[in-house]
Amino acid sequence: MKKKKIGVYICHCGGNISDYVDVEKVRAAIADEGIVLLSKTTMFACSDSNQRDMVEDIKANDLDGVVVASCSPKLHLQTFQNVSMRADLNKYTYVHANIREQASWAHSDDKMGATEKAIHLVRAAIAKSRYAEALESTKVKAIKKVAVIGAGIAGLKAALSLSEKDCDVILIERNSVVGGHVAEFTSLSTTTETGYQIITRLYSEVLKRGNISLLTNSEVIENKGSVGNFSLKIRKITNNDNQEIIDVNVGSVLMATGFDSYTPGEGEYGYKSLENVITLVDFKKMIDSQNGKLVYNGKQIRDIVYIYCVGSRQSDGGNTYCSRNCCTSTIHASIIARHKFSDINNYHFNRGIRTYGKQEILYAESLGSGDIYLQFNEDSIPEISVNGDKAIVKINDILSANREVEVEADLVVLVGGMVPRADNSVGSLFKLPKGRDRFYNEVHMKLRPVETAIDGITIAGACQGPKNITESVNSALAAATKSYSILSKGELETSPLIAVIEEDKCSWCGACQEACPFDAIHMEEKEGRTIAQINNTVCKGCGMCAPVCKPDAINLIAYSSSEIMSMIDALA
Amino acid sequence: MEKNIDKTSYDALVIGAGIAGGEAALNLANTGYKVLLVDKELSVGGKMIMLSKVFPTLDCSACITTPKVSEISRHSNITIFTGAQASNIRKIGEKEFTARINKQPRYVHIEDCTSCQLCEEACPVSVSDQYQYGLIGRKAAFIPFSICSPKAAAIDIENCTLCGACERACPTNCIDFTMEPEIIDIKVKTVVLATGFKLFDPLDIPRYGYGKFKNVITAMQMEREIAPTRPFNTILRPKDGKVPDKIAYVLCVGSRDASVGNPICSQICCMYSIKQAQLLMGALPMADVTIYYINIRSFGKGFEEFYQQAKGMGVNFVKGKIGRITEKENGNLILRYEDINSGKLQEEEHDMVILSTGVLPNEGISELFEGDTLGLDKFNFIGQSDALAGPSRTSIDGVFVAGTASGPMDIPDSILSAGSASSEAISYLIQHS
Repeated sequence: MKKKKIGVYICHCGGNISDYVDVEKVRAAIADEGIVLLSKTTMFACSDSNQRDMVEDIKANDLDGVVVASCSPKLHLQTFQNVSMRADLNKYTYVHANIREQASWAHSDDKMGATEKAIHLVRAAIAKSRYAEALESTKVKAIKKVAVIGAGIAGLKAALSLSEKDCDVILIERNSVVGGHVAEFTSLSTTTETGYQIITRLYSEVLKRGNISLLTNSEVIENKGSVGNFSLKIRKITNNDNQEIIDVNVGSVLMATGFDSYTPGEGEYGYKSLENVITLVDFKKMIDSQNGKLVYNGKQIRDIVYIYCVGSRQSDGGNTYCSRNCCTSTIHASIIARHKFSDINNYHFNRGIRTYGKQEILYAESLGSGDIYLQFNEDSIPEISVNGDKAIVKINDILSANREVEVEADLVVLVGGMVPRADNSVGSLFKLPKGRDRFYNEVHMKLRPVETAIDGITIAGACQGPKNITESVNSALAAATKSYSILSKGELETSPLIAVIEEDKCSWCGACQEACPFDAIHMEEKEGRTIAQINNTVCKGCGMCAPVCKPDAINLIAYSSSEIMSMIDALA
Repeated sequence: MEKNIDKTSYDALVIGAGIAGGEAALNLANTGYKVLLVDKELSVGGKMIMLSKVFPTLDCSACITTPKVSEISRHSNITIFTGAQASNIRKIGEKEFTARINKQPRYVHIEDCTSCQLCEEACPVSVSDQYQYGLIGRKAAFIPFSICSPKAAAIDIENCTLCGACERACPTNCIDFTMEPEIIDIKVKTVVLATGFKLFDPLDIPRYGYGKFKNVITAMQMEREIAPTRPFNTILRPKDGKVPDKIAYVLCVGSRDASVGNPICSQICCMYSIKQAQLLMGALPMADVTIYYINIRSFGKGFEEFYQQAKGMGVNFVKGKIGRITEKENGNLILRYEDINSGKLQEEEHDMVILSTGVLPNEGISELFEGDTLGLDKFNFIGQSDALAGPSRTSIDGVFVAGTASGPMDIPDSILSAGSASSEAISYLIQHS
């Protein structure tokens, strides 16, 4: 066999690595390793110019593989696999070493040690490179149909957008009607349309589309398969409480399951225990349904106190996050109340108003029309007591040097935010990861906000985090684009990096099936023996099965025992 | 891979190659459409490629932008013109737009340039470096910045003395002073506007002393000081090169301020200032950092937690609007402000002040169009004709807006908006094919 020749590139990462790791020393230490023909340092390995140089190096020196020592493979494994491909190498000949997260950043207090560790990590990568083989991916058919779960504003828009791209859609809604929260909104701050009118406009459009099938009263109860071909079971409750099970195969799933409104705990700011304390959701319904005088419990309302951040921005125990939309929503409602009813005085007890962007105009309008803003800190929240039919709300107002201020209110409105859906059964079905805030987590917060760790599943709207209508719609359309682009070519490449069973060693104990998080392993009878079988399109190559296999019958392609052992030797 | 043979006909014209334009172009290209991406700058990557780290993940901005830039640059369905501007965009019938691309000469043949920088060394002319926001100088023959794409030199003809030193120094003879401006008339089926934003110029608020007091800088200049491609390799104040140890941030400079004509909130300044404060605390462990604010707007995913983390690290938050900044003889600065917590007028000395300048619309976008009028909103951002149910639609059917061209937004919102615009553009292309 011809001796392998590889190139090794050590990245400065513009100081992220080279401030702590002596990259030149790393290069010198590995330059004479057996198969290393060429070794270089580079300011940014990922930069366009370096990529170009790498392609030239590979071609000019007829290299068999490349190692780049830089940041996490999560960022750039694919980048350099693509470089290899452009130089006519098989992408699986590429090996990545992470000397940023694992060396420079982890040991910024110990430059010598960080450099030493980086040398070992690069040696291990070179050892792996020795065994790295060309692998071919296989292609599977992708079903050009998307399941959109949830028919609120995000789900409706996503369905319409996919439909316009000649992609079939099955739109699944748990309730009997579409529209979610937005259908309940009457006046909105940015348009003359009501929430209900917007939903009606979108819904009538959905009905016209031959390629959208809408299932109301329906829930997904089972999910099998993976990107390109998910097999879903949907339970639909029909007219007389009968249920119908519908089987459907789709290529991608777009989650638009929305949010729950925060419900204050019993006694939180007098909720449920004091009669003139209500939530913003109820307040909005109240002002929409009344005219002339604003009346609650038979009494005319004049002085309204709004308490902000109820259930949001709680440093301990509760929700730590800001709910983004409540400041604007409250100010808008208070402006409506002032315009619609006579003698209204609005008192906003807030923790710093967050009418970001153009919404600032509403805040300015509210201030200009005489609304009173008082501000408190989390450690000194307003107190509510009762005096006859009034609520007395007491605050130490930051805006007037912590002076104690009391307001006699006819009505106290608790401004609660958005919380993740309490019922997460559909998320669990798809094994969707959640963030610290318990909303669904995107794969990259900055650059990939609608994709998830599960291939083929995208997230849209407020199920990913609090959003207003515009933001929900943008995210719905972005998710539709991502779901569509997965399927638009009609076929998908599957990774060859999967587990394989050595059938003669396997005697089926079931341990691997239990360990598999993707349901990719099942029992099979073959030539009179019971053995484990792996579904290649479902297996993600995560490796959970390999170590639990007692007879060592499972191998992970590209992570064979010989490769791993040689890496461990190099690290020692 | 099929190359685009017809250089004058594309499915989509995307104007602006920042993160929004890049994302929109990629979405279109990945679904099989031919895209022409134009940017007036010498590199793609917009403002994001110039940033240090991003909030609240503290990902290195260059590290997450460069793979996108690389993907855009190599995509077989994307043609890129840098140093180019589109104009005379006109809708013809229901299916087609014509446009004119004005490509300024770079005076360097990109494909032959190896970015060896010998021309930079040879060039005798020094001017202020716009890509380092004026912190340092550059030559008239120069590589825009180290991770620019395309990575190639350019000649700044405005400042060039035509001495020919660069031409003689160039080992590949790629410098060519005979290059002329090119005018290319193109036909496209849809247009995506990702023209981005400009930053407020703090010279318009003289009482903050920007331009007069050297140790008053903008947040974008501080971004450069702490970016991996930073000019000084350390953090220092411009007047005397001293490493600062008592730094102040002034928020809402040119935002939420009707007196300078911008009443709206810029949406990103609170967070980028908090991010910089955290990075400064890391880089200069002995330094005090104070943020003077009206309201902290940490409203996005993970933002409030990031704000609390900054407080936990010891960043000092003072609620109060700065009235005036004066300079002492030693270059230190006195900030006069109303401290809301005490209700008193206060003065505080800092040795460096960073102005967190706001987001303004770029001008002249509607002038790119002929025939149909591109509507603007009352703040002169590109108007959204269906702001709630179709946020990327504009007054012209087939023209879509992506990113901060329609209003202030952060990176993830720009990506979502670009996803939205490209979704509409793809639908439009399919429906009008």
